[in-house]
Amino acid sequence: MDVKGIFATTYRFFSGRRRLLFAATLLLLLASVLAFQGVHMEEDIAAMLPDDGSSTSVDFQLLQRAPLLRKIVIDLEALDETGRGLLTESADRLSSALSPPLFSRVVTGPGPLGGENLLPWLSEALPSLLTAEELEKLSSGLDESGVGERLAESYRQLLSPEGWALKGMIRSDPFAFYRLGLEKMRHVNVISKVRLENGHFLSADGLHSLLIVETPVSITDSEGAEALLAEFATAAKSLPPSIGATLISGHRYTLANARAIKKDLVVILSASTLALIALFFIYLRHWRAVFVFVVPFSVLCLAAVAVSLVYPSVSAVTIGFGAVLLGISVDYALHVYFSLRHGGGEPDQVVGEVARPVVFGGLTTVAAFAVLLFSDLPGQRQLAVFAIVGLTVSLLLSLVVLPHLVPSGVAGEGRLAEPASSGGKRGRLILLCWGALLLLSLWQGSGLRFNGDLRTLSLVPPELAAAEAQLKETWGDFRGKALIFAEGEDLQSALAANDRLFVRLSSALPAGEIVSLAPLLPSAATQGENRWRWMAYWQSEAGQGVIAHLQEKAAALGFSPDAFAPFLQRLKESPPPVTVETLEAAGLGELVGALVLRDEKTVRILSLVPDTAEVARLLGEAGENGENGWRLVSQSRFRQEVGRAIARDFFRFILLASLAVTLLLVWLFRHPGKVLLALVPVGTGLAAMFGAMAALGLDFTLFNVVATVLVIGLSVDYGIFMVCKLTQGMDRSVDRAVLVSGLTTLAGFGALVLARHPALHSIGVTVLLGIGAAIPAALLVIPALYRREWR
Amino acid sequence: MRRLTAATLMFLCALVAPAWAEKAPDPLEPVLVRIENLASGVRTLESDFVQEKHLAVFQEVLLSKGRFYYARENRLRWELLTPVQSGFVLNGQSGRRWHSRTGDSESFDLNSDPVMKIVAGQLLAWTRADFPALGREYRIVLLAESPVKLRLEPTTAAAGFIDYLQIVFSSDGRHVQVVEIHEKDGDFTRIRFENTQVNTTLAKDLF
Repeated sequence: MDVKGIFATTYRFFSGRRRLLFAATLLLLLASVLAFQGVHMEEDIAAMLPDDGSSTSVDFQLLQRAPLLRKIVIDLEALDETGRGLLTESADRLSSALSPPLFSRVVTGPGPLGGENLLPWLSEALPSLLTAEELEKLSSGLDESGVGERLAESYRQLLSPEGWALKGMIRSDPFAFYRLGLEKMRHVNVISKVRLENGHFLSADGLHSLLIVETPVSITDSEGAEALLAEFATAAKSLPPSIGATLISGHRYTLANARAIKKDLVVILSASTLALIALFFIYLRHWRAVFVFVVPFSVLCLAAVAVSLVYPSVSAVTIGFGAVLLGISVDYALHVYFSLRHGGGEPDQVVGEVARPVVFGGLTTVAAFAVLLFSDLPGQRQLAVFAIVGLTVSLLLSLVVLPHLVPSGVAGEGRLAEPASSGGKRGRLILLCWGALLLLSLWQGSGLRFNGDLRTLSLVPPELAAAEAQLKETWGDFRGKALIFAEGEDLQSALAANDRLFVRLSSALPAGEIVSLAPLLPSAATQGENRWRWMAYWQSEAGQGVIAHLQEKAAALGFSPDAFAPFLQRLKESPPPVTVETLEAAGLGELVGALVLRDEKTVRILSLVPDTAEVARLLGEAGENGENGWRLVSQSRFRQEVGRAIARDFFRFILLASLAVTLLLVWLFRHPGKVLLALVPVGTGLAAMFGAMAALGLDFTLFNVVATVLVIGLSVDYGIFMVCKLTQGMDRSVDRAVLVSGLTTLAGFGALVLARHPALHSIGVTVLLGIGAAIPAALLVIPALYRREWR
Repeated sequence: MRRLTAATLMFLCALVAPAWAEKAPDPLEPVLVRIENLASGVRTLESDFVQEKHLAVFQEVLLSKGRFYYARENRLRWELLTPVQSGFVLNGQSGRRWHSRTGDSESFDLNSDPVMKIVAGQLLAWTRADFPALGREYRIVLLAESPVKLRLEPTTAAAGFIDYLQIVFSSDGRHVQVVEIHEKDGDFTRIRFENTQVNTTLAKDLF
């Protein structure tokens, strides 16, 4: 039995058992709604990243470890001279107003960095930290005059009021070696343009203060973002009028996008609804036609439940997008409706007749989505399952249940008249216009640019872009730096890799551009070498000479013989090593926590550098494949790679889907002419879309790629229906079905062109252009190209 | 035995009596109020000073001389003239210090320079006779009333190296005449203010 026979028989079988059919269908759908309540959906973006263990997925995991990238940043600005003196106090006030659960931790500065312990610690730690070059530089400055200069400075300091506080330091460090340690501290300054005031972050010009805030609210959670920003706005009201507060985080983007989408939806839904109502009254005009539109909605829960049965974690993005895609299944219902309503003949025969093109149209779309099962992106594999289940069930509902719900055979349209021949005047005119359109489109389309940057898919309000630029200007680009992880199985091997990395980076980048722990926490081996060199220097003739100069000059300035006894005693002892614990004791624990990252198997030491091509070149392949224990994670490169991965995946998908569709067409029609004819709407739609986008100067983004899938799936259905109509002598209701299908798609998806949100707008443009060209191609060009002898 | 009992009772009474007696007036309070009132009329000060540093790290006492200026509310100029020339100017929360030998001059901010914050805080507190501020960090003991001589003993760790301070006010009570900063290791610094002039007009460029 063929497709026609199966569905005609099925119709006849349920004709006397309609209640049973409706009850069973309702039961199935209700069960799916109930099961859907238990489906757990994740809003994590990870579903859209490859899970194949590629560097992109590893980079994504590592990016989560960036110290400031995922945190909320609040910039306080003094709006006038009064505000300047209130910045730190305002930072404290705002900090106490931002409380859990929405704000889990607020940092206004590093606190009293090291306090009184820092300078003595730096002085003591220096022998373990000083490199060979630095020791050489130090010793070259300690000749007789250098020693004299330093002691004269110490003498002056002791005479000044500052001498009250510095006397102890001067006795144990008369040459102010701690200053070399302070120089090394510059390397751990994550925020380049910051200075510290009362333990608070303050900008170089003294007009801004910075708060770094942690929150449990996910960046993709729009409702959470709204609550978070509302609470921030309330807290900011406690600030004096001379202080302005700006919050910057991913949450603002999420909320701006969610709000834009909400506003867009009002416009789009209004336009779509009006258009659909108009279509309903023009073409459908029967209350039972409502069931046609019920078909796609009724399968949503069922498809989502199917995904949850296959995958433990279901991506909300996938389900949302899949739900939109399932809108295309209304076409199957429309074809069935028009055939029954206007096709004439016995309903079982009509259903059987329309079943063949509907099933093949559905199969081509299912085949296209099935290719996504082989995607590297888990979200797309879920989309494949969702679409396959959803489309299949829609198809069955349209062919098995819907025929019993819609009225049939009230106004037969009669069998088809002869199609417009390609030899006829009208046919020639159509083909001429079509050929001209194709040529024009191909000519223009060759200049179409592909833009794989994911940021183009997101709405960036001008005020947020300005705030980001202001933040960068005031504090430096601390959120946009590239991350380099020096990895090892244990702390010492990671530190050794970090030492090598720092040497490599220092060879090409200015010191102020590298944030690295290496100058303050070298590996034990490096520290051992440094200490050995230090001890050797002071025991050498040169070192002894410095000590002799010290004693001689000190006596000349009136210092007592044991004035520098603590310093001389320290030179005789083995200097203490620097460890994570000693850094913490010196008040640098927060910093160590941010830059030393440990998990079960690996210790990683994080360095931050400018995200430039120069850095990538400097590390070369070693930074990409983890050789030398380094891994470079560049945000800009990550964005590009993700964009490229998704684009590559989609293009591969489009090619494979096209292949699958063509093979199905070959199987269906078994005639090269008919196959090519069925592909005319697809080819025309794509060509017009590419050409028009290029002519309008629009980039082809990732969402255009996704929408292209939609255009292919729908257009090929129009082709199948039209070719079936011509070859099988089906009635004119097919034309009407194709037209109404196309118009409903334009009303539903094409209305997205009215959206302000770039992603929605992209889909709208694609569908409007693609389907807009595919409809006339199906209705006019296919009949004009069709040869009677193919029947 | 009766005599012994009476003596014991008298002894106990002698011990307990002060507790019952009316509390004697604290002489410190009116002195501080008087000094504060006098100091509140001071808009500017200019003075020479002689500094003696009694430090173990030096073989002899270091003598230095300089000039001191103050303008209400928080402007200071501390200028060492011999044996080395150096000093600093404070204007509110920020200032500048210089060393004539090296020719270096650098700005500082009290909020980011803890040492200068302590120094400026001390100098301003004595000069303004800001006893409420001093009282938060020191226990104030009156050593003499004429001229007023106070001893300030730190009650918090904020004073760091200071063991105690001793301050002698001028006979008219309007300004400080001698300050001694005693450190925990026995070192001390004595600063004597001489030729002090009150409420003169100071050149604006001094600060």
